[in-house]
Amino acid sequence: MASALRAAILGHVRVPVVSSGSKLLTPLWIRSMSSHDDHLEKSQVIDRVLDIVKSFPKVDPSKVTSEVHFQKDLGLDSLDNVEIIMAIEEEFKLEIPDKEADKIDSCALAIEYVYNHPMAS
Amino acid sequence: MSGAASYLARRAVQKERVRILYRRALKDTLNWAVHRHLFYPDADALRERFDANKNVEDIETIDRMIADGEAQYNKWRHPDPYIVPWAPGGSKFTRNPTPPSGIEIVYDYGREDH
Repeated sequence: MASALRAAILGHVRVPVVSSGSKLLTPLWIRSMSSHDDHLEKSQVIDRVLDIVKSFPKVDPSKVTSEVHFQKDLGLDSLDNVEIIMAIEEEFKLEIPDKEADKIDSCALAIEYVYNHPMAS
Repeated sequence: MSGAASYLARRAVQKERVRILYRRALKDTLNWAVHRHLFYPDADALRERFDANKNVEDIETIDRMIADGEAQYNKWRHPDPYIVPWAPGGSKFTRNPTPPSGIEIVYDYGREDH
């Protein structure tokens, strides 16, 4: 009899569990508080990459825009290219695989790579 | 002319090897000389060593020099290099993998539903 009373009270008090299967109900702010999301704005990425290229000693800062090609427009060496990419890696705390890093030849490619990288911060 | 094309292809492969070797050597230099005021002179010295052989034309000599360079790099590799945490070899790699989909955890906190 006590168990029946208990069950009745529990049935009254208990909140029914609703399994929300639809993804539309998850509010947007849940992702914004995740510690994994460090999404950079494109303007921030552009500013930081251009700052890195401008502070390179062999580069003339006035010539640097976001469409510049390192070897053709700025007259740099392929080894200078490697150095710039290393500086970008250090700035954004990335690890770029060697084959990918070899292909980054211009500011536009670098900005696009950093912006599309999920772990750039 | 397949001769010229294969020559150019070989030179292109060599240039890529040189770039990758320079990249790894530079990272290694940073690993050994942790502080920036020590790293900059070492990086300059490394760049001088690469630049001294910049104008070699003979393809066999270049191949030999690249092999020498890679052997030197392998000899001087740092035993505990700095790797970005989320990259393979880093400390956070596969630390918290996302759980497989389709698993549903029922939080019933020991409630007795029967």
